Amino acid sequence: MGYALVLKNLKKTFGETVAVRDLDLTVPEGALYGVIGPNGAGKTTMIRMILSILFPDHGELTVLGRPSALEAKDRIGYLPEERGLYKKMRVGEFLVYMARLKGLDGNVSQRVKDWLGRVDLADCEQKRCEDLSKGMQQKVQFVAAVIHRPDLLILDEPFGGLDPVNQRSMRDLVLEEHRRGATVLFSTHIMTHAEQLCDHVVMIHRGEKVLDQTMAGIRETFDPHRIVFVPLDPDSDIAKLRAIPGVRSVTPDGSAWDVALDGHANAASVIPALVTAVTPSRVEIRRPTLEDVFVSIVTGDASTAVDDDARLRAALRDGGQEVRR
Amino acid sequence: MKKIFYVAGREFTSTVTTKGFVFGILVTPLLLGLVIFLMPRYLTKAPPKVEGQVVIIDPTGVVAEPLAAHLRPERFAERREKTKRDLENATSAVFRRQAAALPGAEAAIRQSIDTALGEVPRLQVLPLPGETSVEPEKEALKIALPKPGTGPAPRLAVIVVQPDAVRPAEGTDTFGSYELFVRNKLDDRLVDDLHSGMRDAIVSARLRESGLDPARIKNLTSVQRPGSRTVTAQGERTTNNLINMLLPMAFMILLLMSVLTSGQYLLTSTVEEKSNRVVEVLLSSVSAMELMTGKILGQMAVGLLVLSLYAGLGVIALVSFATLGLIDPLLLVFLLIFYVLTYFTFGSLMAAVGSAVNEMREAQSLMMPIMMVLMIPWVLWLPLSREPNSMLAIVLSFVPPLGNFVMLLRMTSQSPPPMWEAWLSIAVGAAGACAALWFAGKVFRVGMLMYGKPPSFGTLIRWARMS
Repeated sequence: MGYALVLKNLKKTFGETVAVRDLDLTVPEGALYGVIGPNGAGKTTMIRMILSILFPDHGELTVLGRPSALEAKDRIGYLPEERGLYKKMRVGEFLVYMARLKGLDGNVSQRVKDWLGRVDLADCEQKRCEDLSKGMQQKVQFVAAVIHRPDLLILDEPFGGLDPVNQRSMRDLVLEEHRRGATVLFSTHIMTHAEQLCDHVVMIHRGEKVLDQTMAGIRETFDPHRIVFVPLDPDSDIAKLRAIPGVRSVTPDGSAWDVALDGHANAASVIPALVTAVTPSRVEIRRPTLEDVFVSIVTGDASTAVDDDARLRAALRDGGQEVRR
Repeated sequence: MKKIFYVAGREFTSTVTTKGFVFGILVTPLLLGLVIFLMPRYLTKAPPKVEGQVVIIDPTGVVAEPLAAHLRPERFAERREKTKRDLENATSAVFRRQAAALPGAEAAIRQSIDTALGEVPRLQVLPLPGETSVEPEKEALKIALPKPGTGPAPRLAVIVVQPDAVRPAEGTDTFGSYELFVRNKLDDRLVDDLHSGMRDAIVSARLRESGLDPARIKNLTSVQRPGSRTVTAQGERTTNNLINMLLPMAFMILLLMSVLTSGQYLLTSTVEEKSNRVVEVLLSSVSAMELMTGKILGQMAVGLLVLSLYAGLGVIALVSFATLGLIDPLLLVFLLIFYVLTYFTFGSLMAAVGSAVNEMREAQSLMMPIMMVLMIPWVLWLPLSREPNSMLAIVLSFVPPLGNFVMLLRMTSQSPPPMWEAWLSIAVGAAGACAALWFAGKVFRVGMLMYGKPPSFGTLIRWARMS
């Protein structure tokens, strides 16, 4: 199996700021990759370089086997973060135009009709783009990105600005493209989207790649050694838990308790002891979230002198304003 | 290559189908054209035959008779004959020679003058004594007109001469005048005739009153104004100032208007694409150069549409006035060439400016210097058109992008430059257009994705060097 994307040692600076530094990345054909990181981490710059909209200061890249995306433009679909439509153009006309620019010939309008039907916008073909709601516009833009059945689909923040229902339908559309065989690379700053969707995650922080692993690998590597424990009787004596061997600390976490284990302790042996000590209504091994992983990577690295943990988490969760622009 | 044409096609249709374009650019000139086309036909419609009675209440006793003489049919005919001669003289010798080259044109002009003058009115002047009461006499003006040829002649006007119209009242120097009451919808040419008749009658009465001979005074105060004649090596001809000024003016306006229109649309659509954020999707499908080329070509077609529309109107107007021979068709070809050159130069700069700014407001400051350059030919208009072969004119012909305007101006003047100068100017203009395109291409690529602080011209040049 070949690689849809190979980046080597990519670097891009804008004046003083280094947007991307020494980035290496390989994406195999047919993979579903998520690129995560807070706003301003360099995701969009990386994507623009992949598409040859920007050119790297140095480094090499291979896109679909070609040295530049310019030679493979018609096989790439792109949904940019900064997306827009021609306000006055009709939806159908716009999609036909975009398809033609992607090199589609023949009966393009039939294909446009089919696609609009698939995203529940069949009645919008004659509407002007400005008359659509934001969610509808985003669907139209997505259709514009995939109408030519691209081999490589690049989505920059595809879920931004969508309500949960539309996020779900967008996710289904992305998965459908993946099943069709397209290589999908999408960026997001909302970690849960990546968790739900992709089989491989690349994390970027301040222009550098800090993680490049499969989801399964991440879960294993970043096992937090923590157990979530909810007692059946809220007034139970929690102190009993602390006495159990292998338990490092027990801290309240809302109505639940967060049981941290020693590095060498095995959850399988600790859980029976916990359950005997205090009757639980719920006990489970805490799985690492990408958010935890990201924070642990970033805070664990002294050289990146990271700001306060909570602020960073907030930024990751809602794409807040914390991060430099 | 195909993609460039898709971009150009979208650019053209989306511009041409906006309401603003249809109304501003198409409907207005079409209406204008309709007027130009119909006006001569309407004007030459013969005035209706006028027959009727003019009442004059004349306390002075000396005005009514000269007025009656003035309004006699023979005198009408005489005056019209004179107007006709003047009109013919006004259409100068060159004009008529050119027009005569077209079959039947001479006859057409003659006929149109004849019909413009129409049939001579037949008026009866009815003098009434000064003490007549005015109100009852005016009543007759309210009666509806009878069918022509039936019943008595209708009353058309009532003129009331003031007692001191000919001789000032005791102890003053000021003369009185007269009042004119006319029937509703009376032909304005007849009203004019009544006024001029009254003027003549009162003036000659006053002259006679002062012991002067009106005929002699008229002779003494009139000097015939001759047309000037231009003397050249090829011979002598009547100076034709109107055409000398109008033709270059018309060509310059055509050029400027089409370039400005299409350039403005290009700027707007580029800024729109950028602020709409459509541009990034586009750039993932076409290269920046393809996008820019497509946009420039699309708007060039818009400009050509405007140009051919207005130039076509001009030609229609000339045909309608039977004076097509005034224009050398080759000049229209050169107009086209200079349009393409000027448009490419300014269009690329517009595209560069449009790509660099975030919204139209910011474009203004960058547009200023470009507009100033466009205005230079207008500032130098007079010296250039007076001396189309002066040193200044020759030098400016080879300074892009001014050369395009200056050369067109010189070529439409009465003493066109040699052809090699025209071709050299075109070559220099083409080089200028290429340089502007190159610059715009560089700026466009950087500018389209650059948001933030609006750049200055210095920044644009830095971008051009950078990429």
